Amino acid sequence: MGSYLIKRVASLIPILFGISVLIFTILHLVPGDPASIMLGTNATPEAIAALNKSMGLDQPLINQYLHWVTGILQGNFGVSVHTGEEILPQILKRFAITMQLTVFGVLIGWVLAIPFGILSAIRAHSKTDIVVRVFTLLGISVPNFAIGTLLLLGFSLYFNWFPPIDVVNFWDDPIEAFKVFILPATTMGIVVAAGVMRMTRSAFLETMDKDFIRTARAKGNSKWTIVMGHAFRNSSIPIVTIAGMQIGYLLGGSVIVEQLFSIPGLGQYILEGIYQRDYPVVQGGVLFVALVFVLVNLLIDLIYTWIDPRIKY
Amino acid sequence: MKKRVLAGFFLSLSLVLSACSGGGTAPAEQGKSAEGQAKTELIVAAEQEPVGYDPHKVPAASSVRVYALIYDSLTKLDENMNIVPNLAEKWEIAPDGKTVTMFLQKGVKFHNGKDMTADDVKFSFERIMNPDTGSIAKSYFSSVEAIEVKDPTTVVFKLKNADASFVANTASAYASIVPAGSTDLTKEAIGTGPFKMEKSESGQYVLLKKNADYFNKELPKVESIKFQIMKDEAERLAAIRSGKVDISMVSADSAKLLDGKPGVQIKNYQSLEYSYLGINVNKKPFDNPKVREAISYAVDRNQIIQTVWKGEATLTGPIAPALTNSALDPATYPTYKTDVEKAKQLLAEAGYPNGFETQIETAATYPDMVETAQVIQQQLKAIGINAKINQLEWGNYIDTWKSKDMNLMVGRNTSGVDADRSMRFFFSTTGSANVWNYSNPAYDELVQKALTTVDQSERKKLYDEAQTMLVADAPNLFLASPKNYYAVRDNIDFTPSAAGEVYSLIKTSIK
Repeated sequence: MGSYLIKRVASLIPILFGISVLIFTILHLVPGDPASIMLGTNATPEAIAALNKSMGLDQPLINQYLHWVTGILQGNFGVSVHTGEEILPQILKRFAITMQLTVFGVLIGWVLAIPFGILSAIRAHSKTDIVVRVFTLLGISVPNFAIGTLLLLGFSLYFNWFPPIDVVNFWDDPIEAFKVFILPATTMGIVVAAGVMRMTRSAFLETMDKDFIRTARAKGNSKWTIVMGHAFRNSSIPIVTIAGMQIGYLLGGSVIVEQLFSIPGLGQYILEGIYQRDYPVVQGGVLFVALVFVLVNLLIDLIYTWIDPRIKY
Repeated sequence: MKKRVLAGFFLSLSLVLSACSGGGTAPAEQGKSAEGQAKTELIVAAEQEPVGYDPHKVPAASSVRVYALIYDSLTKLDENMNIVPNLAEKWEIAPDGKTVTMFLQKGVKFHNGKDMTADDVKFSFERIMNPDTGSIAKSYFSSVEAIEVKDPTTVVFKLKNADASFVANTASAYASIVPAGSTDLTKEAIGTGPFKMEKSESGQYVLLKKNADYFNKELPKVESIKFQIMKDEAERLAAIRSGKVDISMVSADSAKLLDGKPGVQIKNYQSLEYSYLGINVNKKPFDNPKVREAISYAVDRNQIIQTVWKGEATLTGPIAPALTNSALDPATYPTYKTDVEKAKQLLAEAGYPNGFETQIETAATYPDMVETAQVIQQQLKAIGINAKINQLEWGNYIDTWKSKDMNLMVGRNTSGVDADRSMRFFFSTTGSANVWNYSNPAYDELVQKALTTVDQSERKKLYDEAQTMLVADAPNLFLASPKNYYAVRDNIDFTPSAAGEVYSLIKTSIK
């Protein structure tokens, strides 16, 4: 276990190095440079050149890369070429916001998904099952920007209620944070719920067919004991897998929901960086998301061993 | 049934929400703050986040709307687009037009308490003109030879040649006066303007507080302005309807949607922008003037106004019609009358009786540009020109624009506040924004002469002639100048005009 952990953590180094090279290259291959985007079609060539020079973008690419990587190794993510702000504090601040949104969204998702997923499995082909399956189909196929826009307009049009526009941290003011995050988190929660519900249903259906469940039934256990005591744990591996993947994706990619509800999270920060060709912001942001993604995956792998003692590393 | 379920869902959620907010604010009370005092803070929805506050370096509209409230320029525009005094209380132009003396307001202070003097003006202009600054306004002041400080409130600009656009250009926010000795203005913002920078929360808002020492004692009328960053139009609509923001720019479509809704008014003004179809005059077959003329006859500009702008735009020439003193009436241009037969005949004369294939570049970022390209594509089909539309991401679009290698390109320009900008900057042979390779010595001579002519009626005649020449040569087809829309809460006294949002915001009050 210990050596496994060390191996996994060590493998982070080549992964992150590869990502850094990849993101740097791709970003600089994309047409358009920050100065001409800032200055638009009203620019003079001298102004563009002067601005690029002042941002250090007139240097050869390899120098720019080395400069960036040496900075990162010293914990310095550099400054935004647009606003001159330090990037690392911004990333951390915005990540904290995205994390709250994600946790909130995932919780809503799971609270909906797991009981209903189980219910629809043990009552397969009943009315409940049909409702659940229709919901999962809708949740998977309706894009989240549509769900979000509907929620936003629905509340403001019919009830004149609009979430507070300044984001606050949960630990500063839980009630205000709840009001800020409820609509965006519900938007994310519906999508999360659909995926997890589907997985829960099929995992449970499969487990309920297993011999040990039949044995448990034959022993005269109550339905509750069978489902929660025997089936639940044995069905959790695929559920945890998909849930873990969703957390990873949401942390890095809640872009649309953040954009829609003006949540200044990490996804929005990177997206804005891409539009503006703010190289240091995008590079730093993507690298950070990659790190988080890999760590979440590692965590999920560790949870496996706890759920199912037969799994050993 | 479905509706009832949906309404039930919203109702129960909103009950939960209002339970934890302790009642919430009823719409009627939104003019007052929670403590029952009168509301003094104006909340403006901002579509984009500001990218720094250096007025000499940052041309992004999201930044200008903020720093133009913090800094002042020597002159400014009134709602009729006339140049009026600002930091300069008056100015004198020598008879030969080569010396401009600016007399500054006395007793104006920067936000840090320092007096604003002629030295600050000299420093600011020298900073703009220094190539290392990379200032967008450098080209506005290329005629300046020297700046002399006569006394603390008198600055003399010596020009290489008479420059009739000089005073107008000092009204630009890019020519803001900054404190002498400033080096990095990216984050700190210390000006003489009606508002001070209070707080800026990245990704969320920018808060400005009233400058109590502002030299115009009657302004501004609100205690603070908060620019709330809301990138999504649906969110801005929901926020203005529920009274969370007071003022928001909206699209023409959303304006129609909001019109007549309780609590919200829609206000508009004729913008200084215009849309165009750019033609690369170096590329075959567009190097043939007859082909360009044919395209001009084939394009029905009114249809573009109806389809793209839903009728809410005005026909335009090279100068946007909002600049009423300079713009020529488009009815005077012969090629503005759509005539497909004539267009076909011209194409045949040019050697393309069966038309040809080509490509229109446009920016995917702006739906109006894409729609304009689509309408033009249809119209050109009628004379045998088959155009493929290439939708580009904004960075890519700018690169293509700079490359001077496109065939046809749909875009939008801002006319600027003086005819010189609309004409010389975009279309003279050496104009920085002339990416169409258009070069006509007669045109160059006209606009150069207009620049150095101080007599306004003479100047107008020269520009009239230049506009007619430009439309006939057609390196661009000038299409439509749209209106801009604001949604404003009922209790806010805000009147937008082409002179700019800043001009309107300073005068805005809360009823």
